[in-house]
Amino acid sequence: MQTFINCFKSEWLKKRHTLAAWIVICGAFFTPLIIIIARLVHHTTLATLYASKGFWLQLWRSSWESMAVFLLPVGVVLATSLLTQIEFKNNTWKQVHTTPIPLSIIFCSKLLVIIVMLMQFFILFNFAIYVSAILPYLLVSGVPYPTAPIPYTLFIKENGLYFLDCMPILALQYLLGLQFKNFLVSIGAGFLIWIAAVAAISWKYCYYIPYCYSIFNFLSGQKGGRSFVSPINFHYMAVGYTIVFTIVSYILYIKKKEKG
Amino acid sequence: MMHQYCVQTQHLHHAFSNGEKALSNINLHVPQGSIYGFLGPNGAGKTTTLKLVLGLLQIQQGSITIFQQSVQSQRRAILQQIGSLIESPSLYGHLSAVENLQVMQLLYQCKPQRIQDVLQLVGLPNTGKKKVHQFSLGMKQRLSIAIALLHQPKLLILDEPTNGLDPNGIIDMRELLKKLNHVLGVTIIISSHLLSEIEKLVTHVGVINKGQMLFEGTLEQLEQRQQQDASTSIYTNNQIDALRIIRDFNVDALIEKEHIIIPTVCNEKIANINRQLVSNGIEVFQIISVKNDLETIFINMINATV
Repeated sequence: MQTFINCFKSEWLKKRHTLAAWIVICGAFFTPLIIIIARLVHHTTLATLYASKGFWLQLWRSSWESMAVFLLPVGVVLATSLLTQIEFKNNTWKQVHTTPIPLSIIFCSKLLVIIVMLMQFFILFNFAIYVSAILPYLLVSGVPYPTAPIPYTLFIKENGLYFLDCMPILALQYLLGLQFKNFLVSIGAGFLIWIAAVAAISWKYCYYIPYCYSIFNFLSGQKGGRSFVSPINFHYMAVGYTIVFTIVSYILYIKKKEKG
Repeated sequence: MMHQYCVQTQHLHHAFSNGEKALSNINLHVPQGSIYGFLGPNGAGKTTTLKLVLGLLQIQQGSITIFQQSVQSQRRAILQQIGSLIESPSLYGHLSAVENLQVMQLLYQCKPQRIQDVLQLVGLPNTGKKKVHQFSLGMKQRLSIAIALLHQPKLLILDEPTNGLDPNGIIDMRELLKKLNHVLGVTIIISSHLLSEIEKLVTHVGVINKGQMLFEGTLEQLEQRQQQDASTSIYTNNQIDALRIIRDFNVDALIEKEHIIIPTVCNEKIANINRQLVSNGIEVFQIISVKNDLETIFINMINATV
């Protein structure tokens, strides 16, 4: 266990000063920042908005709209590929593979670092959503503090589902990043699958594309014309894909003939 | 007495995925406590051999034992005692020197104070927060060696470690490696394509070319070969008659261009040959003793396989 903890700490240290670490922070604050600016521009309507019963739900939906469709899938593609590519970029696989650490621990700790960073992103994003609600109240006079209670249970559940829905993206990008030395292969494949998912979102078999589940989750919470009802439980599909991609990734990593 | 080999390879063969043969029947014997110079031109198979020793390539045929243990079955225990530098430096460019060492210190689970110790040892104690991508190649090479030494290994495997170092850096490294070997008893395998670069350092030499071992032995054995390959050139005004007279002394002599070559013989015999040549009316212009240096022997060995 100590070996795993040390290996995880070592992997965590490697992500310091990387673009992937900045993507997590910038990505989490991007949409809430846009919301803050928009609200300050339209400050005359804020008093009514902040007094409404559905304030938090409405804020939640606005914050997740671009996040679920664009920023989250693309951010996961970029961050996972960048982190996995650290060893290829620095020519350090041979150094890592000549340490007395079992390959399975190296594989798992690298994966865990990316998962923890994703969790870090979710925490920061939730915090940023709260800030985007509070800041206009503090800056614009006459705007009341939202009286509606924060639907914690719903938000926790939604966070969990979004997290689950982007795990297949993370797992497949991890697989590609470990296998291909050329950074463009994993990034390019990730973007192409995401574009395919967006383009095919109204196709009846779209749920087979593993990059569309966060979009599905957003749409399934909508009412009216944009609502979406999946014929199957796509959250289970996400879990299935994640497991399959991770197992394949592990086997390919272990069986790799040249390790540096 | 049987030697205790720190590293031993037996009948090691390796082919690349395109079928090209990289190694053929490599039998390395690196004695405990030695500094083993692994020599060969670029593309000879040095790095492939060292990668196999370190487990970076899968063994296709043959076997490798390190510290009398099989690499395949005791990989972790063996790697805990090895420090390595393979080809170009393997460093995280976005991290500082200390952060690079911290990454490895966590993996080797050694004491944090070792970081300053090894930085001091390689002459990089004050790089501060400077990122490694801003380092010169020489500094990167020193840091790579610091990483290799971090966990106080019993065996150091260094693949062309002097690449990018200036002459002073090469001398410093040589002294450092000698100190590690003499004081701490660290066995060192150091590969190079230049014998002159490592002949002042090594105790044993292995020469490889085109995936085949051409020579393996102590530096003394290589020097003996130097003695054997030494010759004497005699310049005269009549080579045909001179050759006949020299052969009367039971010496293998050959005419080559403007002189006669004979194997190195004792001083008395040379004096007798000279006297006989002169008394037969042959003018002797020069008698030169030609000794091949180690580098020439090395190059001759390599050229013999081409």
